[in-house]
Amino acid sequence: MTAVAAHAGGGLADHIHPEPQGFIRKYVFSIDHKIIGIQYMITAFLFMILGGMLAELIRIQLMKASGGLMTPETYNEVYSVHGSTMVWLVIIPLLTGGFGNLIFPVQIGARDVAFPWLNMLSFWLFPPAGLMLYSSFLMGAPTAGWTEYPPMSLQGAPGTSMWAAAIFLIGVSSTMTGINFLVTILKMRAPGMTYTRMPLFVWGQFVTAPLLMIATTALGAALAALFIQREFGVAFFDPTKGGSPLLWQHMFWFYSHPAVYIMILPAFGMISEILPTFSRKPIFGYKMIAFSSCAIAILGFMVWAHHMFTSGMAPALQLPFMVLTMVIAIPTGVKIFSWVTTLWGGVIQMTTSMLFAIGFLATFTLGGITGVFLAAVPFDLHAHGTYFIVAHLHYVLVGGSLMGILAGLFYWYPKMSGRLMNETLGRWSFWLFFIGFNGTFLPMHWLGMWGQPRRVAMYDPQFQTWNQICSYFSFVMTAALILVLVNALWSMRTGKRSGPNPWRARTLEWQIPSPMPYYNFKHVPSVFAAPYDFAEPLPYRGLEAELDGAPPTVPAAH
Amino acid sequence: MPENRDPVVHLDRQFWIVTAVLGVLALISILWWVWAPIASIMPEAVDKAQQIDALFRFLAASGTALFIFICGYVVYFSIAFRRHAGTPENAVGIQIHDNNKLEMWWTIVPTVFVVIMAIFSLRIWAGIEFSPTNTLVVEAIGHQWYYTFRYPNVNGEVKEMHLPLNQAVTLHVTSSDVIHSFWIPAMRLKADMVPGLINTFEFTPTRPGRYEIICTEFCGTFHGEMHSGTSQNPAYVYIDQPASYASWYARTVREQIHASNAIAAPVSPTQLNLSKGDAKAGATLFAAKCSACHAIGPFDQKIVGPGLKGVLDDPAHPTLVDGDKATPEDVAKILENGYKGSMGQMPNQAANGLSNKDIVNLVAYLKTLK
Repeated sequence: MTAVAAHAGGGLADHIHPEPQGFIRKYVFSIDHKIIGIQYMITAFLFMILGGMLAELIRIQLMKASGGLMTPETYNEVYSVHGSTMVWLVIIPLLTGGFGNLIFPVQIGARDVAFPWLNMLSFWLFPPAGLMLYSSFLMGAPTAGWTEYPPMSLQGAPGTSMWAAAIFLIGVSSTMTGINFLVTILKMRAPGMTYTRMPLFVWGQFVTAPLLMIATTALGAALAALFIQREFGVAFFDPTKGGSPLLWQHMFWFYSHPAVYIMILPAFGMISEILPTFSRKPIFGYKMIAFSSCAIAILGFMVWAHHMFTSGMAPALQLPFMVLTMVIAIPTGVKIFSWVTTLWGGVIQMTTSMLFAIGFLATFTLGGITGVFLAAVPFDLHAHGTYFIVAHLHYVLVGGSLMGILAGLFYWYPKMSGRLMNETLGRWSFWLFFIGFNGTFLPMHWLGMWGQPRRVAMYDPQFQTWNQICSYFSFVMTAALILVLVNALWSMRTGKRSGPNPWRARTLEWQIPSPMPYYNFKHVPSVFAAPYDFAEPLPYRGLEAELDGAPPTVPAAH
Repeated sequence: MPENRDPVVHLDRQFWIVTAVLGVLALISILWWVWAPIASIMPEAVDKAQQIDALFRFLAASGTALFIFICGYVVYFSIAFRRHAGTPENAVGIQIHDNNKLEMWWTIVPTVFVVIMAIFSLRIWAGIEFSPTNTLVVEAIGHQWYYTFRYPNVNGEVKEMHLPLNQAVTLHVTSSDVIHSFWIPAMRLKADMVPGLINTFEFTPTRPGRYEIICTEFCGTFHGEMHSGTSQNPAYVYIDQPASYASWYARTVREQIHASNAIAAPVSPTQLNLSKGDAKAGATLFAAKCSACHAIGPFDQKIVGPGLKGVLDDPAHPTLVDGDKATPEDVAKILENGYKGSMGQMPNQAANGLSNKDIVNLVAYLKTLK
């Protein structure tokens, strides 16, 4: 209690830096985590438009079994850049750099992240990396998919090296973000914000940060080796010169499997915020949800070779990878059951954000279940490399990550703009998205099992009808996403003013004005409990002055 | 969050009715997967296909049942616990934080699910990975963008894959360029074809017919054509009755000998007079131009090509040309046109920088190696 009293009197933690003046320092080379978060989001949504256009090109091409829109060569470029864009330029930046930056420092009662300049550098590596990736179209884009397996990627056009350099750069950016977030959560929590009082979105970022730091380095090494082999001929991956193509696969998946959790753990965190808020109920099993995230992160490092069951692996190695992968279903199952239990006995308000969160429960669950199927080696021998995989991965990354992102966008939009997004339009976009998404990807399960391989520019004519159905539904899904973007742009000026806390949520970001002021808190608050007791008074002290409209006391810069 | 503050929970009748309905739906889905006519949609061409389908039935049944319960409860709770028009603004839900017993069940349910799945998968997996040893060995090789096959005692690579019914097969797969994959949906089996690596799987064909082979690992521009549907080089495996397999095999052995002849000697026979060679000049030439790749030793003393001692009368040599004893003309043909076949490659006359006279002299020298 004495420590709390010291803070109320204004200690070091209450020191506020003056807000930078001028457009460039304020909005371009900003060191404010909220501006950087919004920069990440705008950039990522712009890349999502590009990646989405590529996705539609894919679906239009596949409306005819013989292809038709593009040559196979162009088609291969299109789907490779589509995958790379969505993973590295959309989902990961949105969940970590975007929503992570914007929300979690406020949720732990900090005024900024631990290293604001590093944060700025992280962001400013991201748009150049994206432009480098797209510039590869000018010199022949990569064609071997987002996984770029050699020796195929060694045959690829010059743009493949550009791809490697671009992804390397985005990897550096990710690593720095990971370090920054981890230190911030470890060192900058408000007084009383113990680990078991942290909001679950913070927990999501907390377990994601080490994954970003550790796994991305393996990707960096693999990309550097690929680049060196392509440009200088050192034969890391070329079997005719003593290299090993499987070496790439191991290094790549040592990153990319944890990356799957980088792309879902923050979304788990979002869902864990949104469900209790709109159910007016504490999250069920807080500790189990937090603990299961840690378990998933740790296990996530031990399962990478389940992507390689057909690549050539000793049977004795298949065994542990199969069993460990199945074990991940346990913490994931615990989470899903806890979320469902959170709904029970609630007073549920069906906002658009809640609709997306509930939609997430359905679609992510399906993606998780097919994931367990694929962990079973004998089934994987049939389904590997087919459209079943395409279906599974989109159920996890679109039905999971993107659903979470959209739920989060509707939920936290007021904290960026001070306004609410339009709910009517939002409901329309949810239902169109939900129907379009399932119509696009559900049939791919049986297309794959019947014999349609992935990454093909033309396919067996007997599959044409189902492919057309997928394509038509994909137009619906795209329309829904356009509606969301229009809604977000339009609401910026015309949306209903939200006030500080339109959802009556209890985490710290809702206790300060919307949009959030530069300094976040006039006084750093003290925390007394986890933020999910909806029947209790707020568990914070020291927030009295936040909403009074008076300017903060800004001491002279030192 | 002290647990003892949580209210005691009573589940009402409605909840149990919904649970019963979901249970019935789950049961129906399980029965559907148990009896689903998978084999009539996709033939099960080998013994292991049935095992893998049995695993799939189990996975799909338990997965669907679980999915029905989760989604059913989500929809039910979303409707039953909705905020109504008359609900007070500050109404809150039932303030439950956690429940050790329930959370234990939340852990036990997926654990049991996973354990059963793992046991079932492991049993099928063991049956697939460890198989009888007395098998027909066939090699499949992936190329951009077609497949070839090698059979025991068949010279060179053939374009079709035939397998005898009810005979255990070991399939070795590899690649000559990039990574391909060898998938026969009717067998539910697949292995990547990795250059420099041989992957193996074993099975016993149980159903005659013609089945499609599909590449599932991206292998370049025409990856999408590496199957039979739209392809220029349709890839099939034929599962034959043992008798018709035997006749196909005998025919292939014969045809491939001629085919390799055609590769070795595509040009008309040379007009060289092979009786007038100078063996001594040939010996010098051999040391200078041939000895890097060929030993003056027995056939199987291989450097790059075979050893050439007794090339004209050693019975180990015949597969080189036409199944019969090699003649001086055969040797001259190879020197002139080069060789490409089961033993590797040799450049032709021009590439080796040999004049017609050099060939005559070399043949004369090779005749002396007995």
